[in-house]
Amino acid sequence: MERWRRLASRACGLAAAIFLAAMMLLTVADVTLRAAFNTPIRGVYELVELLLAGTFFVALPAVFLRDDHIVVNLIDDFIPRWIPALKRAAAMLAVIVLGVLAWQGFLAAADSLAFNDVTADLGLPRFWHWTALLIGIVASGIAALAMAWSGSDKP
Amino acid sequence: MTVAAIGLLGVALLLVMILVRVPIALALATSGLLGYAALDGWAPALKMVGLVPYQLASSYSLSVVPLFILMGAVASRANMASELFEASNAVFSGIRGALTNATIGACTLFGAICGSSIATAATFSKVAIPEMRRHGYEPAFAAGAVASAGTLGVLIPPSVLTAIYAIVAEQSLPKLYAAAMIPGLVLAALYVIVVLVMGWLVPAWIPKVAAMPLQVRLRAALGMWKLGVLFFLAVVGIYLGWFSPTEAAAVAAFAAVLIAFATGAMGWRGFVDALLETVYTTAAIFYIVVGAFIFSRFIVLTQFPNELARWVQEVGLSPFWILMAMIALYVLIGTFLDEVSTILITVPVTLPLVIGIGYDGIWFGIFVTVMCTIGLISPPTGMTVFVIQAQHPDIPVARIYLGTLPFLVADFVLVALLIWMPALALWLPAYLRI
Repeated sequence: MERWRRLASRACGLAAAIFLAAMMLLTVADVTLRAAFNTPIRGVYELVELLLAGTFFVALPAVFLRDDHIVVNLIDDFIPRWIPALKRAAAMLAVIVLGVLAWQGFLAAADSLAFNDVTADLGLPRFWHWTALLIGIVASGIAALAMAWSGSDKP
Repeated sequence: MTVAAIGLLGVALLLVMILVRVPIALALATSGLLGYAALDGWAPALKMVGLVPYQLASSYSLSVVPLFILMGAVASRANMASELFEASNAVFSGIRGALTNATIGACTLFGAICGSSIATAATFSKVAIPEMRRHGYEPAFAAGAVASAGTLGVLIPPSVLTAIYAIVAEQSLPKLYAAAMIPGLVLAALYVIVVLVMGWLVPAWIPKVAAMPLQVRLRAALGMWKLGVLFFLAVVGIYLGWFSPTEAAAVAAFAAVLIAFATGAMGWRGFVDALLETVYTTAAIFYIVVGAFIFSRFIVLTQFPNELARWVQEVGLSPFWILMAMIALYVLIGTFLDEVSTILITVPVTLPLVIGIGYDGIWFGIFVTVMCTIGLISPPTGMTVFVIQAQHPDIPVARIYLGTLPFLVADFVLVALLIWMPALALWLPAYLRI
């Protein structure tokens, strides 16, 4: 489980890292082309938005798998024995909330597909943004479930 | 149940969940969803939470956050901190407290580029504390100075925290960066004054170290060029009209990568590690942003910020006391909440209130950021203090807090200056006409 979790979180991180590097290189290319040849890349804003969605949502499951959550740990010194149970309860709550987000996101994505919603400049189907988002949220839900099952080894 | 009662219950639920260790992002999303449903019914509430993550997936201005984090992650891997410390040491060499002042000077520039107070404190507790201890500085004072100086980067542009404030408060990021510049430098100067005063009051804590020869000093001072280039691209480029904030962040991150590769300070493995660290950090922060967006929809529905602003006007509290209450609130929150969550949770409520008494959204951004830097070193959960203690286990936490006290005085002096002279923040953006 431990090994599997490390591999899965690294895979998410590497995939997100590709989106991040692409976002940086695309913006640098746009600035350079604009400065040197006065020919900026068309629709670069829209591409950066899509890459940002990829960076965030694809990396999100890793937050669960690595137990990287930002928490307030004031009670840790008082009831140390309860902490693993509280972590599991929080992971179960995350499964429910992410389930709601995925369900409602899926309905909205279906609408977006039905109405053929596209971006203003490049005409990119907004469905791609939704795809990144739903993959990230569903994978995070699975990751939260795995954490609720196995518990976290992080103090 | 009245709207106000549901609003208060929602906030109470949020606080209870945070205290029983529910991740802050999840606590925000859950209490926001339940509160919204209680006020407006389940169907609108579900529709609302379905659309919030998408809002994040189509928000260009947020892209500045991972790019600045990446620049910092690369800079902190590329050995730039120790060179900068040497350079800064060369500048201050020969005066009492030179090493501490060198730490403050180096943290000012390194923190600005790195953007994370925790990473800055972690880096300089490796670079500067051993050097100060070797020369007989009081360990508590050395650690307190690094903890405090580590927070400077949160204020000095380019700062990730300021970018997050710009998004929640819907304020111009270039204006905020310009507004943060002078207060940031004033705070660094106040820290230097603290060191000089402490050197005079308790000379035993801060011994005098022999000055370096001029040649060595000049050569070492050249060591700051790398971070100087990055700062120029990331900040000055915005005001020269070269870049938007996102473009500045991308170009500066790319420049950091090029410098790190060209000087051999970072290889491919280091680059991949920097990318991974960046995406993990970004995901953890944006997860909170999603939760905070859900929670703020609920808060807006309760009309709580407007009611509060109206109530304050009816009661006729003077602006001074409102600001005092604000300071107390942020000191209290800073004792347990991290700075990103603090801004995301409080600003939707406190900003309308402050604007109602005649202050400006840009000014408030600087005020809140300074309050967050205080939270970073205040007990019981001063994050930078813990990071330092983890690396120097022989210095007790309580001693480090003691060491930060003189610097906390400087923080509060800056807060007083900001209230007394709002122009400290507002002059530069007005002068640059952005």
